[in-house]
Amino acid sequence: MEAIWLYQFRLIVIGDSTVGKSCLIRRFTEGRFAQVSDPTVGVDFFSRLVEIEPGKRIKLQIWDTAGQERFRSITRAYYRNSVGGLLLFDITNRRSFQNVHEWLEETKVHVQPYQIVFVLVGHKCDLDTQRQVTRHEAEKVAAGYGMKYIETSARDAINVEKAFTDLTREIYELVKKGEITIQEGWEGVKSGFVPNVVHSSEEVVKSDRRCLC
Amino acid sequence: MFGRSRSWVGGGHGKSSRSIHSLDHLKYLYHVLTKNTTVTEQNRNLLVETIRSITEILIWGDQNDSSVFDFFLEKNMFVFFLNILRQKSGRYVCVQLLQTLNILFENISHETSLYYLLSNNYVNSIIVHKFDFSDEEIMAYYISFLKTLSLKLNNHTVHFFYNEHTNDFALYTEAIKFFNHPESMVRIAVRTITLNVYKVDNQAMLHYIRDKTAVPYFSNLVWFIGSHVIELDNCVQTDEEHRNRGKLSDLVAEHLDHLHYLNDILIINCEFLNDVLTDHLLNRLFLPLYVYSLVNQDKGGERPKISLPVSLYLLSQVFLIIHYAPLVNSLAEVILNGDLSVFCYRSEQDVQRSSAKSSIRCFIKPTESLERSLEINKQKGKKRLQKRPNYKNVGEEEEEEKGPEETQEDSDKAKGIEGSSKGIKTSGESEEIEMVIMERSKLTELAISVVTEQNTTDEEKSAAASGSENTQWNRPFLDMVYNALDSPEDDYHALFVLCLLYAMSHNKGIDPEKLDRIQLPVQTEVEKTSYNHLLAERLIRIMNYAAQIDGKIRLATLELSCLLLKQQVMTNSGSIIKDVHLACLEGAREESVHLVRHFYKGEEIFLDMFEDEYRSMTIKPMNVEYLMMDASILLPPTGTPLTGIDFVKRLPCGDVERTRRAIRVFFMYRSLSLQLRDEPETQLPLTREEDLIKTDDVLDLNNSDLIACTVITKDGGLVQRFLAVDIYQMSLVEPDVARLGWGVVKFAGLLQDMQVTGVEEDSRALNIIIHKPASSPHSKPFPILQATFVFSDHIRCIIAKQRLAKGRIQARRMKMQRIAALLDLPIQPSTEVMGFALNASTSNQHLPFRFYEQSRRGSSDPAVQRSVFASVDKVPGFAVAQCINQHGSSPLSSSSPPSSGSSSGSGSTGRCDSVAPSSTSTPSAAQSPSDDPTAPRQLPLTFPDQVVIVNEIPTTSKSSKSLGKGSEVETANLSPSLIPAQQPTISLISDDTTDALSVESLTLVPPVDPHSLHSFTCTPQSSTQIETYKVTEGEIAPHAPADQSEQ
Repeated sequence: MEAIWLYQFRLIVIGDSTVGKSCLIRRFTEGRFAQVSDPTVGVDFFSRLVEIEPGKRIKLQIWDTAGQERFRSITRAYYRNSVGGLLLFDITNRRSFQNVHEWLEETKVHVQPYQIVFVLVGHKCDLDTQRQVTRHEAEKVAAGYGMKYIETSARDAINVEKAFTDLTREIYELVKKGEITIQEGWEGVKSGFVPNVVHSSEEVVKSDRRCLC
Repeated sequence: MFGRSRSWVGGGHGKSSRSIHSLDHLKYLYHVLTKNTTVTEQNRNLLVETIRSITEILIWGDQNDSSVFDFFLEKNMFVFFLNILRQKSGRYVCVQLLQTLNILFENISHETSLYYLLSNNYVNSIIVHKFDFSDEEIMAYYISFLKTLSLKLNNHTVHFFYNEHTNDFALYTEAIKFFNHPESMVRIAVRTITLNVYKVDNQAMLHYIRDKTAVPYFSNLVWFIGSHVIELDNCVQTDEEHRNRGKLSDLVAEHLDHLHYLNDILIINCEFLNDVLTDHLLNRLFLPLYVYSLVNQDKGGERPKISLPVSLYLLSQVFLIIHYAPLVNSLAEVILNGDLSVFCYRSEQDVQRSSAKSSIRCFIKPTESLERSLEINKQKGKKRLQKRPNYKNVGEEEEEEKGPEETQEDSDKAKGIEGSSKGIKTSGESEEIEMVIMERSKLTELAISVVTEQNTTDEEKSAAASGSENTQWNRPFLDMVYNALDSPEDDYHALFVLCLLYAMSHNKGIDPEKLDRIQLPVQTEVEKTSYNHLLAERLIRIMNYAAQIDGKIRLATLELSCLLLKQQVMTNSGSIIKDVHLACLEGAREESVHLVRHFYKGEEIFLDMFEDEYRSMTIKPMNVEYLMMDASILLPPTGTPLTGIDFVKRLPCGDVERTRRAIRVFFMYRSLSLQLRDEPETQLPLTREEDLIKTDDVLDLNNSDLIACTVITKDGGLVQRFLAVDIYQMSLVEPDVARLGWGVVKFAGLLQDMQVTGVEEDSRALNIIIHKPASSPHSKPFPILQATFVFSDHIRCIIAKQRLAKGRIQARRMKMQRIAALLDLPIQPSTEVMGFALNASTSNQHLPFRFYEQSRRGSSDPAVQRSVFASVDKVPGFAVAQCINQHGSSPLSSSSPPSSGSSSGSGSTGRCDSVAPSSTSTPSAAQSPSDDPTAPRQLPLTFPDQVVIVNEIPTTSKSSKSLGKGSEVETANLSPSLIPAQQPTISLISDDTTDALSVESLTLVPPVDPHSLHSFTCTPQSSTQIETYKVTEGEIAPHAPADQSEQ
């Protein structure tokens, strides 16, 4: 794999505990889904390349965060250096949808003076029978905040790629337009470079990490 | 460097050109890691080196290049470390990894990086990893790794360590398992870790600690401390001739460490931890072991005991160190008011309790080891966890299934409410704690009931305080405390009792009310009309013993008695001591004066000792905290200095020490007596610092006797100076460039501490050493001046020697006479003082002096003649000076004739010295031989010569010899230095040795700078001063007649 990329975006995935943040990221970066998953303690880190146009690759660094209240003060530290974010809720858990406002408020406070491009993600869309949040009201909320809305399922691999690439494209457009600029001391966006060492063992490592948790 | 590059070669990639701190190098190292995922004998060194380098790059990147850590994140390299650690890779790799992690966590400054490293229980899995702790090095790195982590603890990061999956707080629980590790560094680290944990203000975590770990940890800790105490007691009991002192002092230090640690926990002021800790300390250690041992000294019985001195000593330490009010109040309550029932009623209650064993007020070993208890608690916790597996989903429906108390707890945690510790907990583990708290409040109730029974009038309080008659008060502990003060044989126990009383009265945590009940007042108390007579009388009795010639009271005991007595009877408005007590004290003081008189003159070095003792008493006042850190006082008092025990903490040995002790006792009584009578100290110290000439003072040296000399210091420095001799000091001056005839003091030293010796090969030179008075009698005196003085010829050398020697004798003699005055002794005839018989007859036997005498007689000055007749052993130098003056054209009025004698001198230093005002020592009108103010000003360098000439003139032949060329010029320039000064005269040098107390006045003019001006007084003032002095200090009166008769 040629690790040549145009930009590097740092994304953050937030949302209530148990909405499926880690599973979504794992599906996206590792292509796998685990039936049992321990809650994230603190933060976790993933990365993947996405091709938004032929030959134009963007490297995504994704911070997975713990949804639990007790880690809130820890995860806050990661907002500042993120350019984009996936705000997840569980469509079978109304409470997690209601908390979306809180999450947005929270990020707004801690991301100053930068801002994060969010996409609202209704997760676990495979469990349509247990749905507590309609697509319509979710779209309404998203539109109210100027966000896109997308429904995904990590288990059935629905829209997982799309959720990430859509967000990446959106940010890419903003960067191209100059509305988001690369700044010294800010890790959200970095311009690409061509690394001269190829890490053939990347995939091996990725699979290694699963068993550690 | 070499090692590193070699290891690259070993790895097959010898590219040492790469910068060590770079992303590229990290990538390379990563490559090495991926190639060596399994640890083998062969790649072990390579891996260790790789891990080490990675850490180095990470820390570098943390500060310099964020892409380094990004790479580390992307490759998830942390997992490699953990993999290697898990492979049972042997101690070499283990040690390196632990060290590496330690460095990493210590140095990573970005919080996002730190959080990442702490995330997902990686660190917890390292903490619980079963290392081989029998290996010291692994143990050391492991515990310091935990310590480093504990330093990163705060309200945010605590969640990484407090792991709800296992309901364990591995960092804490793993650390406290080593609380009794044989290696003290490990124990210290454990303590640091626990303190760091307790400091985190996280209610959930603290609840966890209290519920799951506090009881096992604190009970084991208390048992551990108690075991040390018993060992300490054994050490005291089995001691023979102080052989156990080394071990004993280790054990005492250990106990101090324990107390400081306990105090550190208590001052974090985490209420519910403190409750548990206080309960354990009181009911499992302090009361059953320390306090119980106060009254039950008979051996045998099943309860463990320690000896009385040890128990008193340790209790003093407790009160000196721990100030946590609930603890010290309860403890003080039992000691001051309690009786043996505190050990019984507990057991009555035990009958009613289900868990009797756990809370007997007894010093017993915890039923299970700490590790076991923690394990059990963890199991319990797991069961609970199963009941609510989804703790993380607070707010979900499952909550309803839980027991009511847990819901409460949960919501408590979730909301972060600071629940009152007592109310909420009802689950099994906390039951005991609650009972404990109950117990404590019962104890307090008991105490209060005692209080209410007591009357509050002072008389009744005194009666209560005196205790014995009032049989309704059964207070065995207090009785014992008083009894221990009663032994006239020695002060072994008394010292500890005094320390204990002192410590209690200075403890900030103790309710003053409590102490007031035995009338042991807090120092700052204002309103007070009576004091504890029983205690005061015992203190006075100790003082009486101390004043006896073979009294077995140590100085420390005496000083502490004085302290406590002052504390008892002194109020803001003065002393309230009863006349009868004051009379006793005055008696003791009188006694002490007799004691010192016994030794006065007995020792050659009496003066030095006297001043040394005064210095060490004032410079180092008693510090009870330090005293109670010294293990040596735990052993019976001894007399031999060979033990190395500080002088104040043992009995005197030999005459010198007996003298010193007598002097010290005298000082203490004197100061106590003055304080009680509210009188200021006017006579001590013998030399007050502010009365002395100091370096950089500017003096008028017109008319003073100066001898030019070259001072060669030990390090080869060479300076031209004038030597001047004052009453108490010799000084080396340099001409003041600003004013002629004035000099700047470059050095001043006490004559009494000076040693003058001739130099064998050079008759013009003297070796002079002045020692700084030793700060302690055992320290080696430190020379403040050690130099060779070279004079222009041997005559002047001898003059200087003579003058210095006499000055020394006189200075000492004067001080001895002042001591005599202090001791109400008759003034000694001057020639006999201290066996120094150096007087005219001896000095006249020396040829040079006789020769000099001759030359003086040759002079025609009547004043000089007179002085010569008046005093045969005149200081030659002085006479010479007069001759010179006479030689010059101006009348000699400056240096007043010696026979007129008096002087102004020393209003400051010697009040009893100066006797009669001198009518003749008036300011001189004109002294310079050739008044020529217009003469060209001399450079300072030539100034010495001018004065030399002054001294030279009587024997012109000699002067030309010694001065060589240029003498004419100098003679011409003589005048400026001798220009009359229109100022009051003041003495710089004493002229007459027979009149020891009068000081000849030569001119010394107050310098411009008032700050550097000495409190020299001119004649009229001095006379008035003398009079006032006579009035105030009656005892000194004998001096005046004596002095006058001498004249």
